[in-house]
Amino acid sequence: MTAFRVLELLVLLAVLAGLVALLRHRNLFLKVLAMDVTSTAVISLFVLIAARDGLITPILHGDTPAVDPQAALTYADPIPQAVILTAIVIGFSVQALLLLATTLLAGRDPTLDVAELDQPEAAGSRAGQR
Amino acid sequence: MNAITIAWLLLPLLVAFLAALLPVVARSGVLLTCLGTAAMALAAHQSWLPTSLQLLGVLGITLRPDGLAAPFLLLNALVCAAVLLDGWRRPQSEAWPLLLLVLHGCVNSAIVAADLISIYVALEVVGIAAFLLLVLGGRRQQVWLGLRLMLVSNTVMLLFLIGCGLLYLEQRSFALEATGQAGGLVLALLAVALLTKAEVFVAGLWLPRTNAEGPLEVSALLSGTVVSAGVVPLLRISAEATSLLPVLRWLGIASAAAGVLLALLEPDLRRLLAWSTLAQMGLVVILPAVGGLYALGHGLAKAALFLLARHIPDPALAGWRQRPLAPRLWWPLMLASLSIAGLPPLLGFLAKEQLSSQLPGAAGWLVTALGAGTVAVYARIWAPPAPQQSDADAGASPPASTGATVLVGALVLLSVSPWVLPLWTAMAPDALAGAMLKSGLVFAAGLMLHHLLTAPGFAAASAPASATASAPALGPAAPIPAPPWRPQLEGLDELLGAIVLLGAVLVGLLGWQP
Repeated sequence: MTAFRVLELLVLLAVLAGLVALLRHRNLFLKVLAMDVTSTAVISLFVLIAARDGLITPILHGDTPAVDPQAALTYADPIPQAVILTAIVIGFSVQALLLLATTLLAGRDPTLDVAELDQPEAAGSRAGQR
Repeated sequence: MNAITIAWLLLPLLVAFLAALLPVVARSGVLLTCLGTAAMALAAHQSWLPTSLQLLGVLGITLRPDGLAAPFLLLNALVCAAVLLDGWRRPQSEAWPLLLLVLHGCVNSAIVAADLISIYVALEVVGIAAFLLLVLGGRRQQVWLGLRLMLVSNTVMLLFLIGCGLLYLEQRSFALEATGQAGGLVLALLAVALLTKAEVFVAGLWLPRTNAEGPLEVSALLSGTVVSAGVVPLLRISAEATSLLPVLRWLGIASAAAGVLLALLEPDLRRLLAWSTLAQMGLVVILPAVGGLYALGHGLAKAALFLLARHIPDPALAGWRQRPLAPRLWWPLMLASLSIAGLPPLLGFLAKEQLSSQLPGAAGWLVTALGAGTVAVYARIWAPPAPQQSDADAGASPPASTGATVLVGALVLLSVSPWVLPLWTAMAPDALAGAMLKSGLVFAAGLMLHHLLTAPGFAAASAPASATASAPALGPAAPIPAPPWRPQLEGLDELLGAIVLLGAVLVGLLGWQP
């Protein structure tokens, strides 16, 4: 088993850990944090994929002559890196929005218990109507 | 033509920017953008555009404004315009047209994008825009609904991203064509994310509560256009990956059966419409060739029904016949629901006929049988209209829904427009007569099923008579409680669990090939 496989397995384990935590925790804040763990694991998966063939930063300097094909193989793959940058930005903004909404909900119900939040407020308002 | 396509994709976002600075232009900007999208839909339908557009090299962005995208683009344009027109006279937050523009633009991108990363970005932004539209009212329940939706959608998008990463590892490409040779795990991860976005089967369980307790204009957008952002990539992938097609077919039929069954037992109009969306989206994903037409017919009618539901003060289905609707609400309601049920010559009939005639073997018959179930679902809201009122009373009756009228008008016009006319003329006269006869039988069976279910003995088992009838409608009416014997499946944990289960089933069906 190569080092790449071991690392890949570890990353997928981290994804799994995040998902299990997302399913198991009853507290909304912890659920949001668990999603962040999964998100970080996905980012490291892409970093790992980029570094599969080589570790040299894929930037050519000003007037470097074209690298020979042999040396090019030792560069990291820039495509997954570019892709995951976008995903990091999106993940960050989604996380911010989720935490903002959580804060709004915490103002009314500080326990943030998911089962409690799932009880529609309609039950209360309907009781009020009767 | 490339420049026009790119300009059209950027237009909604630019108009949104402009409208943020100059709120006066916001509404006319939305209409202009929708007009542009409708024009693009026509161009894509007539193949005036290159069907594939490669930007920034081989590993860059791929766009496909092709025949598959055309009906979805038209649907997006019509539904967004109708929702805006419907709320034209109501005072609204300044952010509402902006978010509508962003949603519209990103749904457009998701429809035409043909590489996984562009699809990912578009779907995420669609999710964020839908979240913001839901929480715009700021009520606690709306914030919770939006948060639930966002948490679920972001979780599945992370699975989607893992699928993209593994695909790149296998094929060194993010292009949709690469999914043709992809392993089962990759396909399962991509499919579970897109199924959740498309509201199919257990992955769509978030929909009923979101629709019933959120603002109804957002429900119209969710059922009308947001689903297409998930469906189109799914149809594109299933066209590439042949191993996914049979799995999707049975998932779709299961979704349709479950949706019809739950809609038959539902005491609340808005949730009935949501369950029906679940059923109809299942039928959309069955066959990529007919999916576009089916989704167009369903999306127009369902968005119209949700906009009409705004004007119906009591959503309880118990005692529906004792509260007849004013004719101006009755007509669009009947036309839209008859189209979904598949009455000739409406668009829904044509889509259903194409679907059941092109499906091989038992699946075609199952779809026809489910059609009878759909008739029985909508028979619950078919009742005679209120008698014509005198002019003095007319002022007191609820106003007509502009948006629903526009959508139903478009639906009726489209049924005979050049867009679908070739499909009508392609049918042989005896095939057409056979289809009419079959549709008649389906309606008879559906109405019989409805009468069986509403027989006095059975009706006692459904929900008690509504208590909300006496309460005046203050904002959105409270949801009608489900009968206590029904298992509660719509909590956040159940949603996440259902998605994980669906993912595991898909991996099992598609084969584990890491």
